[in-house]
Amino acid sequence: MAEEVSGAPGDAPSRRKFFLITGWSSLGLFLAGAGAAFAKYFYPGVLYEPQTTFNAGKPSDFVKPANPNETIVDERFKKSQRVWIMRNTNGIYVMVAVCTHLGCTPNWFPGEQRFKCPCHGSNYNTQGEVVAGPAPLPLFRAKLSIAPDGSMIVTTGLLGIKRAELQYKKGVLLPRWTDEEKKDIAKAPYFLELKA
Amino acid sequence: MSQTPGHGGDQKPGKLKILADYIQSTDAWKSFFRTGYPDSLLKRMAVMRSSFVMHILPTKVGVHGLKLGYTWCMGGITLFLFLMLTLTGVILMFYYVPEEHRAFTDMKDLKFMVPYGMIMRNMHRWTAHAMVFSVIVHMARVFYTGSYKPPRQFNWVVGVILLKLTLLLSFTGYLLPWDQLGFWAVTVGTNMASATPLVGYEGPFSEFLGIRVDNDIRFAIIGGTRIGPNALIRAYVWHCVGLPLIASGLMVFHFWRVRKDGFSGPL
Ligand code: FES
Repeated sequence: MAEEVSGAPGDAPSRRKFFLITGWSSLGLFLAGAGAAFAKYFYPGVLYEPQTTFNAGKPSDFVKPANPNETIVDERFKKSQRVWIMRNTNGIYVMVAVCTHLGCTPNWFPGEQRFKCPCHGSNYNTQGEVVAGPAPLPLFRAKLSIAPDGSMIVTTGLLGIKRAELQYKKGVLLPRWTDEEKKDIAKAPYFLELKA
Repeated sequence: MSQTPGHGGDQKPGKLKILADYIQSTDAWKSFFRTGYPDSLLKRMAVMRSSFVMHILPTKVGVHGLKLGYTWCMGGITLFLFLMLTLTGVILMFYYVPEEHRAFTDMKDLKFMVPYGMIMRNMHRWTAHAMVFSVIVHMARVFYTGSYKPPRQFNWVVGVILLKLTLLLSFTGYLLPWDQLGFWAVTVGTNMASATPLVGYEGPFSEFLGIRVDNDIRFAIIGGTRIGPNALIRAYVWHCVGLPLIASGLMVFHFWRVRKDGFSGPL
């Protein structure tokens, strides 16, 4: 019997060995399937999270600065949508108020013209570029489009923002925009140009 | 008081002794305690070996193992703190509801409205801090006395997992008050998970597996793409049921191994 179990070299596997293999591999398959199902259980199929698209009102609702070097930060959507609406002399862009370091909400300090994160001290300028602190990337830009009635539709959420696209760009990710990225974020859908 | 059964053979058995003998002869007593009064060495040994409470203690202990200065009792203190946390935690569960509109007010009610609620909450909190401390001191002692060496190396590994579970228990408890401190701490803490290689959406190589913000490991931890009600209930269940169960299982194993391996010798 013992020879049969181990099987002489070159022999076809004995019936006992066959059952042994089949038995253990079905058990293994069963356990793997059960484990996968358990893991899958933690991924809900539907989320009840706040909308990541919202209507931000007419562009004319946002004050245009007098000085071309100045940007006016509008905080009216910070609490409800976690974004700032930024208005400079050329147009409007939307920055997501999520620190690129570990996701806290930075605060706007008009006196210093800086966003500062309370968590680990990252500082951003009005372009969202990191001027101090540990943050590895500029603040994300939300997408902006115009609805038929002329109001602005903002798409936030980590799927509709500039950074998600940056992920797939090879090369270094910098805390400041590169020249190429600057051209990118200065046009639609990240920038709404407004004449006059 | 003078009724010390089994000792002094020429003493006339009193009524208490007869009663005690009767109780000890019942099936119920025997099923619980298994042996009679431990009046011989063999019976004492049997008590130690067969009682559920006693059986994690070794039948023999080296003299050095009894010295308080050698172990500082830190492992035992850790177990005591864990039991305290279980007890106070269950008491807190009578009032606390892990729902985003209720969690914070429930916690405040516990502190200000519930009789003895403040002391229960603070006991739970400070005991948790103390447990992290005692686990670390326990491990330091094990390290400096070389008790992690073979044949105890595997128990050290179990101990390291228990350390992590202790920290995870503290971390999952952090969100539950649903206050600014906990909310942002958990925001920051779980965002780190998104940088996990392969399975985090910001981690290296994640693009090979098609990992996005809505299917990565962070998503599984907080049950969504942002800290919200799903994250709260998940933290609650892991904190109150999942992690304590895993930790208890490993602790039973840990103590059983300590007993089997005995205490290590003095330095
Ligand atoms: S999360 Fe903003 S600096 Fe760390």
